[in-house]
Amino acid sequence: MTLREVVEELSAEVLHGAEEELNGTVATVAAGDLMSDVLTRATIADLLVTGLSNMQTIRTATVAGIKSIVIVRGKPVSPQMIDLAREEDLVLMVTGMKLFEAAGRLWARGLRTGETRA
Amino acid sequence: MALTAKFVKTQELLFELRVADVMRRDVITVRPDQTMTELRRILRDHRISGTPVAAGDELVGMITIADLIAFLNSDEEEALIGDKMTANPDSLFSDQLLVHAIQQFDATRFGRFPVLDPRSRKLVGILTKGLIIEGMLRAMEQAFQEEEIRQYRASHIFEDMVAEYKEIYLTYELVGRDFDRAGKASTQMKRNLKRLGIRPDIIHRLAVASYEAEMNTVLYAESGVMEFRIAPEEIVMRLRDRGPGIADVEKAKQPGYSGAPEWVREMGFGAGMGIPNIIKCADRIDLQSTVGVGTTLSVRIFTGAGANRAGDEGGGT
Repeated sequence: MTLREVVEELSAEVLHGAEEELNGTVATVAAGDLMSDVLTRATIADLLVTGLSNMQTIRTATVAGIKSIVIVRGKPVSPQMIDLAREEDLVLMVTGMKLFEAAGRLWARGLRTGETRA
Repeated sequence: MALTAKFVKTQELLFELRVADVMRRDVITVRPDQTMTELRRILRDHRISGTPVAAGDELVGMITIADLIAFLNSDEEEALIGDKMTANPDSLFSDQLLVHAIQQFDATRFGRFPVLDPRSRKLVGILTKGLIIEGMLRAMEQAFQEEEIRQYRASHIFEDMVAEYKEIYLTYELVGRDFDRAGKASTQMKRNLKRLGIRPDIIHRLAVASYEAEMNTVLYAESGVMEFRIAPEEIVMRLRDRGPGIADVEKAKQPGYSGAPEWVREMGFGAGMGIPNIIKCADRIDLQSTVGVGTTLSVRIFTGAGANRAGDEGGGT
């Protein structure tokens, strides 16, 4: 699935990310509001779907090596977050959907966690 | 994603370049009192298809090969450039961003623009699409080389330095409750380790441990100093903070144990996973804390040939 298709599926608004970057593909997703859970993954996800909208969202993605972020529930995103996303070369978008619906739709389109269940 | 990342870099370059960086400065100009016959010779000799018309260093018009053809197709025997030129032509300023210049090329479909000094309004250069491409390629080449040199220098530093013991120290100051900067030290450190050529899975483990530790300090302590000692066989992170300390260190190592107030949870942390995450990423950790004074955390990750792969159970304490 390309990031552009993610944008369409979630009716998301792209806050940072060049046209060419939206052609990039995603296969694995980390979803959650707890950044420690995102950090503790054994594999690097392509996309982070989260209801947390602050500087730590961007920093966590950077540290965890995740290249794109969807903020859910239409949470406001600060200009500093967008600046940081630009600095770190991350794609950043926001959708009005709740985490459950956004994750469900992406699952239905074939995206997975990318991790084996313990 | 590697290719698209390069495209983004190109866009950034575009926003850094100004017209003056890529324009041609030794502009061939003609005077309005010269003849069209002279213009024909000048265009041919210099292999150009248009040129600014200047009186002194004052721009008065633009004349192109299209104007020349129109003149040749007419019945006129001779004419002055001043009568055939486009007077008051569109121009660019030398301090304009190159992206804006490109937009102007797109909007007008002109092949060239005279460039004026923004203060004196004198003609100082000319910009063509060819010059834009040339300038962009030059800037990309330069940026690419600079990063290559940085990477090369950094990744060979241990080989190039001769000593009995070789270590690099990176030190970062942390400020409590500064949430805009929280995590900055860890992301900077991560970038440095990439340049040093450290294995990506090791960088990942260290970055996660360091970020969790950095967040702990920013969330709970007044201030802290985070220091990375990078040696050929291991990387040791030591974070000393001044703050409330941890009452029960053994409990804090257990997943899910947390005394975090609600606002910490709203920041996306505080579920009692910080220290367990750090333990998971580390080969060795040492956690010492005195209530009311502060906490010292040491995290050791082995980087030599036999170092743990990501996903291996690291975790001794």
